[in-house]
Amino acid sequence: MITFVARRALYSLPVILVASFVLFWAVRSTFDPLAKLRQVNDPQAIQRAIEQMGLDRSIPEQYLIWLRSFVTGDWGVSSRTGTPVLPLIGEALWPTLQVAFWGLVVAVVIAGAISVFSAVRQYSIGDHILTGASYIGIAMPAFWFGLILIQTFAVWPREAFGLAEPPLFFIGLHSSGSSDPLDYLRHLVLPVSALMIALVATWSRYGRAAMLDALASDYVRTARAKGVPRRQIIWRHAARNALAPFVTVVALDAAVLLGGLVVTEQIFAIPGMGRLFLQSLVAADVYVLLPWMIVVAVAVVICNLLADLGYALLDPRVRLR
Amino acid sequence: MRISPRSASTRKAALAAAVSMTLLVGALTACSTSEPQPPAQDIQDGGEITIGAEAEPDCVDWISICAGSIWGNYILMAETIPPVFNTRLVDGEWTPVASSLVTEEPEAVIEAGKQVITYSINPDAVWSDGTPITSADFAYSALQIRDGVDIFDKTGYNLIESVDASDPQTAVVTLSTAYAAWRTLFSQFGLLPSHILEGQDRAAAMVDGYEFSGGPWKLDSWVRGTSMTLVPNENYWGEKPHLDKVTFLFLPDTTAAFQALKSGEVDALYPTPQADAISQIDAGLPGISSQVDANSGSVEAIWFNNQAFPFDSKAVRQAVAYSIDRQAIVSRLFGDLGIDEPLQSMNSPLVGAFAGDDFSRYSLDLDKVTELMEGDGWTRNGDDIWEKDGETASFTILIWAGNKRRELTAQVLQSQLKDAGIEMSIQATTPAEAYSTLVPNGDYQAGLWSIIDTFPTPSLSASFVSTNIPTEANDFSGINFVRADIPGLDDLLIKVDTELDTDARIAASLAADEIIADYVPAFPLQTVPNVLLWSDKLGGPIEINAVEGPFWNLEAWGLVG
Repeated sequence: MITFVARRALYSLPVILVASFVLFWAVRSTFDPLAKLRQVNDPQAIQRAIEQMGLDRSIPEQYLIWLRSFVTGDWGVSSRTGTPVLPLIGEALWPTLQVAFWGLVVAVVIAGAISVFSAVRQYSIGDHILTGASYIGIAMPAFWFGLILIQTFAVWPREAFGLAEPPLFFIGLHSSGSSDPLDYLRHLVLPVSALMIALVATWSRYGRAAMLDALASDYVRTARAKGVPRRQIIWRHAARNALAPFVTVVALDAAVLLGGLVVTEQIFAIPGMGRLFLQSLVAADVYVLLPWMIVVAVAVVICNLLADLGYALLDPRVRLR
Repeated sequence: MRISPRSASTRKAALAAAVSMTLLVGALTACSTSEPQPPAQDIQDGGEITIGAEAEPDCVDWISICAGSIWGNYILMAETIPPVFNTRLVDGEWTPVASSLVTEEPEAVIEAGKQVITYSINPDAVWSDGTPITSADFAYSALQIRDGVDIFDKTGYNLIESVDASDPQTAVVTLSTAYAAWRTLFSQFGLLPSHILEGQDRAAAMVDGYEFSGGPWKLDSWVRGTSMTLVPNENYWGEKPHLDKVTFLFLPDTTAAFQALKSGEVDALYPTPQADAISQIDAGLPGISSQVDANSGSVEAIWFNNQAFPFDSKAVRQAVAYSIDRQAIVSRLFGDLGIDEPLQSMNSPLVGAFAGDDFSRYSLDLDKVTELMEGDGWTRNGDDIWEKDGETASFTILIWAGNKRRELTAQVLQSQLKDAGIEMSIQATTPAEAYSTLVPNGDYQAGLWSIIDTFPTPSLSASFVSTNIPTEANDFSGINFVRADIPGLDDLLIKVDTELDTDARIAASLAADEIIADYVPAFPLQTVPNVLLWSDKLGGPIEINAVEGPFWNLEAWGLVG
C-alpha cells in the first residue's frame, strides 16, 4: 500500500509542476500585475515594482523566480489588501473546508441512502418520487435554492411568529464574537443544505445506477442462491461494490468544491475561497489568483489520489496494477 | 476632490466605481426625495447593532490607495480619523463646516502670492490614548501626503511649501499658490497621529487596522471577509456614542442583504440602488424605515473617447445626445423611488451651486440627429445605419461586469441608438482592467461609469483640462480619459480651481458648463440616489450625508428606549 501511495504521489508532482506553469503563463498573460499600482499617480512605484518582481524578464524566468519563492513559503503580497497571500488563502480555506466537509458528509449519507433505496425498490412510487426530486435538484440553481431556504427558514418564521431572531442564521458561520456550538450549527444548516442539494441529486443518480448494476451481477445472484440474508446481500455484497465508482465521483466533486463555492459563499457571506477568488478577480489581484489556482489544482490532485486509495481499499485488485 | 477612476485631483472612482458604489443624484433640481426626518426618538444608552456593508475595505491606510474604498470611508475612516472640515447641509447646500477639531474657522490669506492657512487646534482634542492632537500631527500628515509614495491623491498637498508647527496649538500651512479648494486639506484625508506613526512604515503599521482614533469610535476588531467592529472611544472630546458596539457585516450580495435585514440579522443597510434592491423597497419592508436621497455626489455619464472614431466628431457626439431619451432611462431605473429627472451638468448636485443646466437642450429628437449627421457628411445605408466613407456609425461601450443597473442602462441605450441609426455593442470588463490599461491608453470608444465628488467643491478640471489627457509626457497619470482638448475650457476650469472669490468661481464654472454641454465630451445621464434602510428598533437622528455617508453621526444612533 505504501508503495502504491508513494508511486501515485510521485506521478502527481510533474502534473502539478506542468499545471503551475500553465497557470502562471495564463495569469501573467491575461492580467496586468501592476493594475492596482497604475491607479496611483506614481510612475516610480511602477518602475520599482517591475524591478522587484522581474516583470521585464521572460515568462519562464519569471516562473522560476515565482516557483522558488512559492515553495519556500513566500507567496507574495496581495495587491488588493497589502497583506501576505499565504495567510490570506489559509484564512479563506478554513471556512470553505468546513462548509465543504459538512456538505460532503451529509450529501454522501443522504445520496447513499437514496441510491440503495431507489435501486432495491426500483420503479416503486418512492423510486419515482426520488428520481423526480433528483432532476429538480439538478436543475435548480444554487443561488435560487439558497434564497428559498433563507426565506423559508429565516425570514418567514421570524415575521410569522414575531421572533426576536430567526431560527436559522444565514450570514457567516457564527455570530460576531460567538463560539457557541449551537450558534455554529444554526449558521451551518442553510449553506450546507444549499450546497448539498445538487450533490445529493447528482450522486443519487450515479449511486442508483451503480447499485442496480451490482444487484444484477452474478455474485449477487450466487449469494441469493446460497441463501445469504437479503440485508447482507444489499449492504455487504452489492453496496460495497457499487461504492467504488461512487467514490471517484465524490472525490472529484470534493476537489471542485474547494474552489467552486462562489455562489454559496456569496449568498451566505462566508469568507471562503470562492469569495476570495471573486474579490481577487475583480481587483485583478494576480498575486492571489495564481496561488489560489495552484492550491485548487493541488486539491484536485490530492482528491484524485484519495479516490485512487479509496478505490484500492474497496477493490484489492487495484493494488496489483 | 472627486472620486473618478484614477488618481489626480479627482479620483476615488477607481475603486468606488469598481464596487459600484455610485451614489447618484437626480438633477440638481433638488429632486431629492428624502423623506422628512422624523423627530429624534428616545433612545437608550448601551446595546449593540449590526449593519450590513456591501463592500469591505481592502486596506485602511487612508492616505494611500485604500482611500479609494468608499465603504472604508463610511465605516471606519469617518468614525476614527478627525477632519478639519465636516460637510453639512447649510441652507440647502452641502457646505464645509469647521469641525470641533479646531476652535474657529481656519483662516486663509494671500501673502506675496502665497496662500497661508492658519489652524487653531481645540485644546480638548486628544487621540484615543489621551495624547493631545497638535500641530505636529498636521505637519506629519501633510508631509506624508506631499512626499510619500503610493499616495492616493496629492492634489493641494503638492502645493504645500511649509508647515509651521512651532506652536503645538496652531498649525500654519503655506501653499506656493492660491488654491481655491484649500478646505479639502486635512479634511478628506483627515489627520494621522504623529506620535504613533512618525518614523514607522505607515502602510505596514496600519495594514491590519489601527488602534488609535481621533473620532467618536475606535476599531475593536477586523475579521477579514467577515466583519469590522467599532466600540466607543472613551477619550473622544465630543458627543459620546450611545451604543456599546457596532458591527459591520460584509454582505456583498444585495438580495441576501435584504433578507438579512428582514430576518433581523442586520439592523441597517445602505444598498446601491440596483434594480433588485429597488424592487424590494418598492414591495415594502415591514418594520423597516427608509430614506431615499437624490442629493448625492456622483455623476453617471457616457464618456466618449474624443480622439477615437466616431466620437472625434462633435456632430456625432451631439447626435448621440439627441438620440437618447434620458428621462425614460432615469424613470426606468429609479422611477420606483420617485426619481425621474436626468442630470443636466457634469457637476454633481453636491456642488449644485457651480452647476448649470446646459445639457437640458438634449432630449430625444431624431430630426435633429438627421440634421447633425447629414451636416457631417453621413448617409443612411441599407441597414438604416449612418455611414460615412465606408465606415458605419458603430461603437462599443465599456461597462463593468456584474453591475446590473449599468447592464440595463446599456441595453436601453442600445435600443434607443439603434432607432437613431447608430449601432452600439456592449463590452463588459472589470474596473481594474479599464482604469489600468484600456481607458488611460485610449483603447476604447465609449464607457459608462460614474465619478463621485467627495467634497463640496467643483473639480471638473481633472476630467476635462487638456493637460490631464493621459500621455507618455505625464506618464499616463492624467484622468482626462475622454481625451478632450476644447478651446477656451482649460482657462475656465483652472480659474475654478484657483480663484478664491466664490462668485467668480461660480461664474467661471457656469461658463465652463456651457462649453462642455456644447462640445459634449461626455454625456451626463443621472445621479444615483442614496438609499438608507434601518430597523424600527433603531433611533437617531438617522439621515444620509451625501459626502460623509450614512454613518456620519453614528454616535447619535441608539436603540429605541
